[in-house]
Amino acid sequence: MAPDMPPVQEPFPISYVAGRYLLFDPPTVAYARRTYNITGVLIGTIPNLSQQNIFLGIPLELTPEEARVLVEQDHAYIVDDAAIHREGFLEMSREDRLAYLQDMDEKGAEISRNVVRRANEKTERALQAKGLRAIKRSDESQASDTGSLLFDEDGFPSPVVAAPEKKAEPTYITPTTSCPPLHKPRPSPALGLPEVPKSFPMFRYLHSKGYFMMPGLRFGCHYSVYPGDLLRYHSHFLATGLDWDEEFDLLDIVGGGRLGTGVKKAYLIGGEVKGGADKEPEETLAPSAAPSWNPALRPDKPEKKPRVKVEPVRAFSIEWAGL
Amino acid sequence: MARAEVVPPQPAPVQSLISSDTSRKTHDAALHSLALQIQHNLQYQHYWTSLRIHTHSPLTGGLFPRPLLSGLPPHRLYIHPDEQIELLKEADRARKARKEGETGALEVKAEPEREWILPARLSEKWTLRRLAEVFDGVSQVPPEEDGRVEEAGKWRQTKRVVLATVDTDSTVAYYIIQDGVVKPRQN
Repeated sequence: MAPDMPPVQEPFPISYVAGRYLLFDPPTVAYARRTYNITGVLIGTIPNLSQQNIFLGIPLELTPEEARVLVEQDHAYIVDDAAIHREGFLEMSREDRLAYLQDMDEKGAEISRNVVRRANEKTERALQAKGLRAIKRSDESQASDTGSLLFDEDGFPSPVVAAPEKKAEPTYITPTTSCPPLHKPRPSPALGLPEVPKSFPMFRYLHSKGYFMMPGLRFGCHYSVYPGDLLRYHSHFLATGLDWDEEFDLLDIVGGGRLGTGVKKAYLIGGEVKGGADKEPEETLAPSAAPSWNPALRPDKPEKKPRVKVEPVRAFSIEWAGL
Repeated sequence: MARAEVVPPQPAPVQSLISSDTSRKTHDAALHSLALQIQHNLQYQHYWTSLRIHTHSPLTGGLFPRPLLSGLPPHRLYIHPDEQIELLKEADRARKARKEGETGALEVKAEPEREWILPARLSEKWTLRRLAEVFDGVSQVPPEEDGRVEEAGKWRQTKRVVLATVDTDSTVAYYIIQDGVVKPRQN
């Protein structure tokens, strides 16, 4: 982790705002990506220039699947942002409120003092560049006392101009965060686990194997699956999650397989094994399924016991045979 | 004017193959003829050899959900990306070992391997459960002519089946399905 990134306390809060799962804290965003292979999508833009959307910033929007995986493994918890704010600000004690207001006033005064100081320095520099010097009301007497200034080395007295004294105007701060003044939010148990689409078991299975997932719209599937951070790797799979007994057309297999092979990927279908499955799918995995060059896929990675029962998932990789 | 005698056209080779099939019908006749059609296509359009129809699993001895085929392609059908790296290294070593002035092409030596073939019609609907049933029945390497099941090599630890999808115009599309998450080939 970068040295200037403060450590992230687990579990960290995920803000639930208007049906979206958001992360607002840059260290948490970096932590989730480095530690738990959660990339999400940055959606923050400039409010009055919303078409400026090439470089987006925080918040990071998580898909329900990503939020669910983090919550299921106790790395994070969901916070109902609106409720927390309503509760936090309406029930804030008088002392807390006054202390916060005073803190804000102090910060504002500090900003004002800095503004004045910088303006004075600027005036000073500008006058010096012109060979002038400012007199201030406070040191007027001092200036008149030093008679030697009338005859300096050039033999010309440097003209004295009166620079207007800058007054410190109070600055009012618009708070941009609500934590502080609020404390670290508590989980909102009423929300429960995030609602996920039926392709979620596939997501969880691939995530547990250390893969990175991105939305698969570009390839007509549920997830594009990357073997490592997507800034470093191309995706390996186009994954579609199905129910165990969900019918699919062979045309979809042919289409997905052909598209995948055309872009050097494999099409992956899979789902939760239901009923009469006495076989663990892990037994059939190729030894290369967990590449050793990816630290996220190494087995020595500390595993947290998930608190939900995870059914086995079986997946099939499809590639064009080239016949 | 003499009436020309009506001679019925000769049946198509696939048709004759299907109607002359005398093997015991363990499955629906349509599934048997489907297997024969794929067998014919592989044999005469893709030059596969030692094609056999399997009605029973070599692992469990139970009936397959449908007749499957096994056969030997003229060239290796599937090379795992890691095996490919190894083969290329080997070929590179061999090229360096050769004398100067000789042809310098890389010669990648990959012997063909027997494959399982799962015949299917495009109009069918499949489910993961049915696909898994097929995979549970097949061995890693298809049995030899004498029924012997050979040990799977280092690079064949994943079960694979070639899905042969045939359309009504008898076009066949072949796709390799592997059991599990197997990284793609980098052709």
